[in-house]
Formats: sequence, structure tokens, C-alpha cells
Amino acid sequence: MTATISTTSVTPTRRRRRSARLSPLLVAFVLVPFAVESVWVFWPALQGFWFSLTSWDGMSPPAYVGADNYVELAGDATFRGALVNTVIWLVLFGGLSVLGGFGMALILQKERRGVGFYRAALFTPVVFSLVVTALVWRVFYQPDGVADTLLRAVGLEQLIRPWLADPQTALYAVILPALWRQIGYVMVLFLAGLKAIDPALHEAARMDGANSWQRLRHVTIPQLRGINAVVLSIIVIDSLRSFDIVWSLTRGGPYHSSELLSTYMYSTAFQSLRLGYASAIAVVIFVLALAVILGYLVRAFREEA
Amino acid sequence: MSDFDPGRRQFLGHLGLAGLGALGAGSLLSACASSAGGPTTSDGSGAITIQSNLSSPQAKAAMEKLIESFNAQGKGTARLNTIASETFRVQLPTYLTSANPPDLYTWYAGSVANDYASKDLLLDVSDVWKSLGDYPQSLRTLSTDASGKQIFVPMNNYWWGFFYRKSNFAKWGVREPKTWTDFLALCETLKSKGVPPIGIGLGDTPWVASAWFDYLNIRINGAPFHRELLAGKQRFDDPRVKAVFTRWREALPYFDPKGKAYPFQEATTALLAGKTGMFLIGTFFADAAPKDALGDLDFFRFPVIDPAVPLAEEAPTDGFFASAKTANPTGTRALLAYLAGVEAQEAYVKASSGIVLPANPKAKAVDSPLVVKGKAMLDEAKELTQFFNRDSNDALQPTADTALIKFIDKPDQIDAILREWQSSAEKVFKG
Repeated sequence: MTATISTTSVTPTRRRRRSARLSPLLVAFVLVPFAVESVWVFWPALQGFWFSLTSWDGMSPPAYVGADNYVELAGDATFRGALVNTVIWLVLFGGLSVLGGFGMALILQKERRGVGFYRAALFTPVVFSLVVTALVWRVFYQPDGVADTLLRAVGLEQLIRPWLADPQTALYAVILPALWRQIGYVMVLFLAGLKAIDPALHEAARMDGANSWQRLRHVTIPQLRGINAVVLSIIVIDSLRSFDIVWSLTRGGPYHSSELLSTYMYSTAFQSLRLGYASAIAVVIFVLALAVILGYLVRAFREEA
Repeated sequence: MSDFDPGRRQFLGHLGLAGLGALGAGSLLSACASSAGGPTTSDGSGAITIQSNLSSPQAKAAMEKLIESFNAQGKGTARLNTIASETFRVQLPTYLTSANPPDLYTWYAGSVANDYASKDLLLDVSDVWKSLGDYPQSLRTLSTDASGKQIFVPMNNYWWGFFYRKSNFAKWGVREPKTWTDFLALCETLKSKGVPPIGIGLGDTPWVASAWFDYLNIRINGAPFHRELLAGKQRFDDPRVKAVFTRWREALPYFDPKGKAYPFQEATTALLAGKTGMFLIGTFFADAAPKDALGDLDFFRFPVIDPAVPLAEEAPTDGFFASAKTANPTGTRALLAYLAGVEAQEAYVKASSGIVLPANPKAKAVDSPLVVKGKAMLDEAKELTQFFNRDSNDALQPTADTALIKFIDKPDQIDAILREWQSSAEKVFKG
């Protein structure tokens, strides 16, 4: 609602009307999405909190059991494993996709011949359908597949194992395709940020004799602060809700070794039909996401102030 | 690929569901809480809606034909709703409990149907059974719930066995084993010839391992104990269950190590290519086999371990049940009676690709040596079991997948695995 404040020519009556009554169109723009969200997001989310206090199979009416689900979560080894895996996922998938995306953006920011091709190539995995992505990577990891062939070619055949079926490698074997999809996306965000930096700043730094490392450290990174907030939120949310790629490649198996909170929630809900318990897991995911993002926002505001 | 539905072959259809993961966690779970779900059903004309999970092209076309000919009879109108099978499995409880549910559903007999019946969600179809006098008693019992009324109408069933290529067995100079000892000797022979004896496909389809558990358990402890165990009346850490794994361990060294990494469809390919010797699987695997290979396929019964135990076989039965809330019970029963009839079942068996046996004893199955042999094997059995998830429930299946795959990987830890299995099973039964 940025009404440009006009100075002299505006009549007092008109100014009063502006401040007293919002335009119906603007109100509609706020209220309609809010109403839709309420029905489709806020209300189900609130219901989710309630279900987490019940025992419910999806058919009979939910039975209130108080904090039982949360007590059970505390002693549930599978849940603990999924929590640890989710943290590993957050650090590895989150960290590497930021580093990778930022690195690629730095390399590809200069307009040179052919740079468009590389950008497009890196961004392609983002637009692939997940079904295709899963298929491609499954072929890559299958016995005697691309991965095994590559290892044989360089004489490392003793490393060969059923990548997605070995509890020690399953999680990492899934992180790789997840990164493959994410890096291009993060790169595009950073490219946009880099484009927005005033070249004069770099010019000035160069005049002062700063080498390229110092320019990166003292000019580029501080200038990207706005984009960093966006990237961080996206990465945290994407990490915590990473589900599709894991589900399509391993289903959280073998025996829960690549289980994330999201896959555990899903299988508890729709395979074990314990919707109350699954809602409790969903609440935990929500609290985690909130904690990480709020933590960041609080810090960011403090710096602003 | 349904992870869960040993009765049907699926491809990557379930991946479509993965898209759900994109929804917010909270809303994902409660999305199914709204009772607004379920397609609109009986409109003014009293049309009967059939929710079908038979989404493979042949089966779908076969169902469409059946419904067309029913509609042509003028006893009512039916509408077919074909749903991707994984979506169907997940949504089924929602369909049944919605305010205005579809009338008729394709699903499985046994404890799965009985669970729904105990919640009063299924239509009493005892009337339909009055016209099915020549159906065998075993199918009638299977379709009867705890209160003694029939709630299920079977369409067809199929069998499990050790499938192999006749030409390869001839080439290796080996014969079908009858007993467990013969079986192990056969494995040893194949291994010495450099062929991984036992094929399996556990990547993405871990439930295939349950066939081994089911069979060893019904061969060692018998079908009644097996059913009690799966109903939660016995414990998984019972010494009798451990005995199953002691036997299984004797065969473990002969499993194809690559089988952990690919699904049963690829294990089928490996068997046909002669990269494995034999494969314990249900007849649905043949959907994935090239037609020219079918003539070369044969199978043998899971070997007998203890001759004192009455012979039991796995024979999963597929069919239909109806919603108790149907607006048109008369029309629904008429349609069920039609589907249970000779004409409909023969048409279905002909049109669908799988090797299945029609439930109606008067209906002719496809005339092939394999089908004749399969039918004879089932007829000889004293007891028929369904399959792990059908004799227990879908919710128990993931606990079995975890325990069995872990055992195949780490047989030394069997005691801990069984304790863990028991405690996760208790959680499922408690709800």
C-alpha cells in the first residue's frame, strides 16, 4: 500500500478517504488468499497438533491419549535414527548445496562465450520430473550400473557394493541426487544476487589493491546478505521436507538406515496407519523448522538494529 | 512397485505419490482427516461406482469390458474408477469412511477385509453367496467375517512357487527338489557351476522377502500357528519363530547377493537371462516376462521340511467388497453376482495377462501346463494362506520388511531382530 505522498495538489477530503478506507480490491487481495490458506493450511495444521495427542487409525474416531505419543517418541530408536539422519541431511545437503551453488555462481557470473550453456546444464536437474530423476539415479546405482563401471575403470572394484541397499551407504547415496537437483537452484539465486552488486564497489576495492580473495571476503559476501537470508530459509525448509527423493530411491530403508523424519512420518501414517503418532512426528518437524528459521531471523534483525 | 501389494505388479506409479511429500508436514497428515474426500457416488440414476486398483493396462481394459457388458444387461448401470494402485492402497480407508463412499472396491480377502468388516464398513453380501453354491468351502470361509456373514466376493487367486527355466535346469543337469535336503543339494550344485542359485528382488519391493518367511513358517510350524502369529496371538520372539530363521540361514549363502539392490521385476529378468537358478515368486511376475519365455518356465512347490505338518500353500485371493453405506445395495449385489459368474470371470482371465485362477470352479482358466500344475498344487493343499500383509494387515508389513531384510544382512543378530520385531508389532496391534 504505497500511496505516493503527493504534496500540495491533493485535496484534504481525498486524503482523508485514502487513510480511512482501503480499496476493496486491496482488501480482497489480502483476504481471499487468507481464507484459502485458512481452509487448506492453517486449519489442517492446527488439526495436526490435535491429532498428535490422539491415537487414530484414520477410520475410527481419534481417541485422546494426552502426551503418550510424545513419550513413545522419546524412547523410539527408529525416530532417534531418523532425527540423526535429518541433522546429517541438513548439514551435508544444506551445506554442500550452498557451497556448490555459490561456487558455481561465482564461476559462471562473468558473461563469457558458452557460459549460458553451463548455467542451463546446471539448472536442468531442477526442472526434471522427480520420477525421471529417481529412474536415472537408480540406473546409476544399480548392480553393474554406471557407478560400478566407473569404479572398475579406475581399479577400485573392491569398493563396489549395493549402494542403495547397504545401510552404510544408503543415506549418502541419496544425498547425491538431492544435491544434484538443488545446486542449480541455489546457483540461480546467487547469480541473481551477484548481478545486483554494484560493479563500482569491486572497482574501488581493486583500486585499493585488494586481491580477488579479499574482494570476495569484504565486498561480495557482505553485499549478498539479502540473498543469504532467502537461501538459508529455502535450504532449511527443503532439508526438513526432503522426502520425495528418499522415498523414491530407498523408502527410508534398508531397515530404517536412510530414514528421515519426513519419510518416517509418512510411513507411520500411511503404512502403519498410526496417524496420531505420525502427527506427533509432524509436530516435531514443524518445531525444528521454526526453531532454525526463527533463530536466524532473530539474529538477522539484531544485526539490522 | 507397490511396496505393498504383492498381488499386483507395479512400476513406478507410486512415485507419483511422492509428490505428496511436497505438501506441508502438518497438512499432509490431516489432509485425510477431512471427510470431504471420496468421489461423488450414486447420483440420481443410482449408478454404482467401482473403485478399482487394477491399473495395469491389460487388467484395466479387462475390467472396462466387464462393466460394459454388465451395463448392457440392463440390471443397473456401473461406473468404473481406476486408481493408481499405490494411491488406492493409501486412500482406501478414506474412501470407506467418507460420508458418501464409492459402492464397490477391488481388494483382498482375509484379515484385511475382516478388519474393515469389524468396523461395520462393509456391506453384507451373504445374499450374493446364496447363488454361489458351487464355490469351494475354503473360499467361502475366507470371505466370511467374524460374525459369520459373507463380506467378500472372490474374483481369482494365484499361487507362489520356485520358478525356473526348464532349458536351464536341463543344461545344468538338475531336477526339481522335493524336500529341503534336496533343495539345499540343488543350491550347492548350482553354486558349484557358478550360478547364484536363489534369485530375489528386495530393492524397492522388500515384501518379497515375506514369502520366504511365510513359507518356512507354514512348512515348519503349520498354517494355524502362522495365522495366530500374524494376528498378534503369538510372539515373534517365540522359539518356534526362531526355528524358521535357523532353517532360512541354511539357504542364505545361496541367495543372489545382487538381489538386495533391485526390485523383483529385475530379479525376473535375471532369472530369464540365466543369471540366477530359481526364484520364489508369485505368478504375477510373469507380467514382466516376455511371452516367448513363458513356454520355457516351470515351477516347483516350496520344498517340504517336516512331513508331519499338513501341506499349506500361499494362494492370495483378489476380489471385491462393497461399502456398508452404499446408496444402492440392490444394484451393488446384482453387480457382485455378475462378477462372480462364470462368464465374467472367464472374460477377465482371458483379457488379463497374469496367470490367475478364476474363483468360480465352473470358469475355465487359461489352458496352459503351468496353470494346470498350479491349480493341482493348490487343490492338493490342506490349507491356503494369503500372504503376510493379507493374513495380518498392511500396517504389519513394514515391521516384517525391516526384520527380514536385516536378518538377510545380519543373520547373527537374529535374537535382537526378533525382539525388535515383536515390539514394533505390538505398537501396530495397539494402534
